Amino acid sequence: MKLKLALLACAALPLAAAAQTNLSGKTVTIVVGYKPGGGYDAAARMLARHLPNHIPGKPTVIVQNMPGGNSIIAANHVYNVAKPDGLTIGTFNRNLPIAQLTRVQGVKFDMTKFQWIGSAANESTILAIRNDLPYKSFEDLRTAKEPVVIGSTGPGANTHDFPLLLKDLLGAKLKIVSGYSSSSDIMLAIERKEVDGRAGSLTSIQPFIDRNLVRPIIRARSVEPGIEKLPEDESLAPNPRAKAIMALRSAPEVVARPYVLPPATPADVVSMYREAFAATIKDPALVAESKKAKFDLEYTSGDEALKVMKDVLSQPKDIVDEFSKYIKFGE
Amino acid sequence: MIEALLEGLVLVLQWKALGFMMLGVLLGFWVGLLPGLGGATTLALMLPFIYTMQPVEAFAFLLGMHSVTATTGDITSVLFGVPGEASSAATILDGHAMAKKGEAGRALGAALASSLVGALIGALALAAAVPVVRPLVLTFGSPELFMLAIVGLAFIASLSSHGGRGMLRGFLAGALGLFFATVGQDPQAGVARYTFDTLYLWQGLDLVPVLVGIFAIPEILELVARGTSIAGQLPAGKLTRGAFEGVKDTFRHFWLTIRCSLIGTFIGIMPGLGGSVAQWMAYGHAAQSAKTLEERKGFGAGDVRGVLGPGAANNSKEGGSLIPTIAFGVPGSTAMAILLGGFVLLGIVPGPDMLSKYLTLTYSMVWTIVIANVVTVIICFAFLDQLARLTTVRGGVLVPLILVLVFIGSYTSNNHYGDLIVTLVFGAVGYFMVLAGWPRAPFVLGLVLGKIAENYLYISVARYEMAWLTRPVVLALVGIAIAVILYPLYQARRRSAHA
Repeated sequence: MKLKLALLACAALPLAAAAQTNLSGKTVTIVVGYKPGGGYDAAARMLARHLPNHIPGKPTVIVQNMPGGNSIIAANHVYNVAKPDGLTIGTFNRNLPIAQLTRVQGVKFDMTKFQWIGSAANESTILAIRNDLPYKSFEDLRTAKEPVVIGSTGPGANTHDFPLLLKDLLGAKLKIVSGYSSSSDIMLAIERKEVDGRAGSLTSIQPFIDRNLVRPIIRARSVEPGIEKLPEDESLAPNPRAKAIMALRSAPEVVARPYVLPPATPADVVSMYREAFAATIKDPALVAESKKAKFDLEYTSGDEALKVMKDVLSQPKDIVDEFSKYIKFGE
Repeated sequence: MIEALLEGLVLVLQWKALGFMMLGVLLGFWVGLLPGLGGATTLALMLPFIYTMQPVEAFAFLLGMHSVTATTGDITSVLFGVPGEASSAATILDGHAMAKKGEAGRALGAALASSLVGALIGALALAAAVPVVRPLVLTFGSPELFMLAIVGLAFIASLSSHGGRGMLRGFLAGALGLFFATVGQDPQAGVARYTFDTLYLWQGLDLVPVLVGIFAIPEILELVARGTSIAGQLPAGKLTRGAFEGVKDTFRHFWLTIRCSLIGTFIGIMPGLGGSVAQWMAYGHAAQSAKTLEERKGFGAGDVRGVLGPGAANNSKEGGSLIPTIAFGVPGSTAMAILLGGFVLLGIVPGPDMLSKYLTLTYSMVWTIVIANVVTVIICFAFLDQLARLTTVRGGVLVPLILVLVFIGSYTSNNHYGDLIVTLVFGAVGYFMVLAGWPRAPFVLGLVLGKIAENYLYISVARYEMAWLTRPVVLALVGIAIAVILYPLYQARRRSAHA
């Protein structure tokens, strides 16, 4: 009797799968465009632990690191090589739309054609300077007698591009010194007064604000509790063109932890993942875990993420040309 | 302070913490042995497991694992000439040469005993540095770090063979290393240099595939060509001296071991110099200790001091690199950056608090390093002489196994076929360097220090223009660099005066 039931169940399985995606017994791979240890990798590993609970059939979810080319290699793989069967998810550098926009060599994908699951976090970029400096506001930075020295890791990183636009478009008196090997190295340079400040994500600078080493001065568009009162770079733009360039730099920060499926993935699989993703990010177990890791999760839906991509990639040519003068894709 | 030190020990000795530490040691043991799978990657993979642990248990687990990888990495280097870790490549030069002479046991004994001494000194430095760490680290700005890189490059002088021709070859090999360090997107203008339009080279050459290629491939080719076992010159199954001899060597050259440990600790303390620099500077220093020309020629051909130096330094640097991580929240190496994530997970903010509020925890880390290393060395000694027997296994049996290790090891660094190509290309480079009698150590030194030197020079000039040249520590380091270069010449003159 039992055997018969089991046989029946087996026979019914393919039918059920056609009606509703069931990944029971399957293994889903999240391809990360970086080596283990960074923020993108940590987020993917955290999600991989909780995502299975929200996918029909509770598949095993594993993380595969595919570093190189600042994530372009991983994106190319998910776009061109991975099977669109719902068993491969990609997560990579939020600035990939910038790479596509500025026609970086080696880009073999169209960000608007990925099947977007959504984004797991926002990234708020701020500029902070040493507390013992006399400058308290952005206006003070504009009228500073001596240039304020800002340490950076290099072009393409928010430690570099954000202050660069503040300097060139908003007239802040900054001197950017690049080549530090990591943002924490810049922090140490601030500590020994080699540089006066740095830009970066609020999450990474917050501990040093709390320690009274630095104070935040200005932020980019994306906002989080605690920095609402800081002036926003775009609001100080002298002309629409400058505003457009700053907006373009900020745009991907709303999609800071992007998750996508290969372009040809069937619609029912995509909608299943979108629901599962949304539910996972609200999952109390994951929320508790992310709080512990000081890792702010912020859900952005697949549609919204796709809209950001379309916005970035539909800019008029003159804006793109102007933008490319300042911003290089990297990190 | 003494109280905190003892409390730290008691914390680590609780059965749960100790149990997790042993688990960590066991994991770290294998991670160290297998090339490619590095300590840093494993730390990242193990991080999720600490959610439910207490801080002391978590760090006993993570640190226990990490501090062992450098020790067991030396074993692979000595036995097969394949670097078990990027930080144990320097051990190959003399360690593997000793294995070929049938002294694998002695080399392993020396590597492990010096590792232990190094770890203890690093831990001691960590404990002692607690009150002075802030001023010490803050003294070293970008100009000083640039000069430290120059001092490192100056060690090429003692890594090259004797005479004008030897020096020239050494410095040319170093320049080649510097050149290869420029591959990748540069951090000042964002220009892609020597990437040949490939994405793989965009982030520069990865150290592991290069090291594996340049050291392991020539050894494998030689082994195949000889058709014997690694210790081929000996009658089969007869290994001359055992592991205990290596321990005695450590004490025979005790001051050298101590000095190399201190070099390692110091490099570890400096954030931004990276984990693979210390071993080469220590090796250079060990080579300086050769008194006669014959002795100098022995380096690279199986002088035990060439094992002791890097063996000590690559362990002592761990204690050193914990110092900036704890005191500033600024990691001294990739592994420490991941460990920093562990602090956050446990709700601890590294920084000045670690030296006051969490002092007991800090000291418990010191004890973890000490205990984990002692345990590992004791375990290893139990079967060192058995391990050494691997060098008497016929090459035909061993080569396929080593090849698997080599290619899996290099492939794990990026999971990209480019890793394999890099290994093969640098394997060819290494083979021809050996054939033509060019030293490989200066090449690696150039490769490891190139990016550091370039970036800190740029920052120094951009920030201070020419004024950085007059900073007192910079001047002192200029003096040291000159002394390091002139020392071999001085030695040569003294030798000829004696003759």
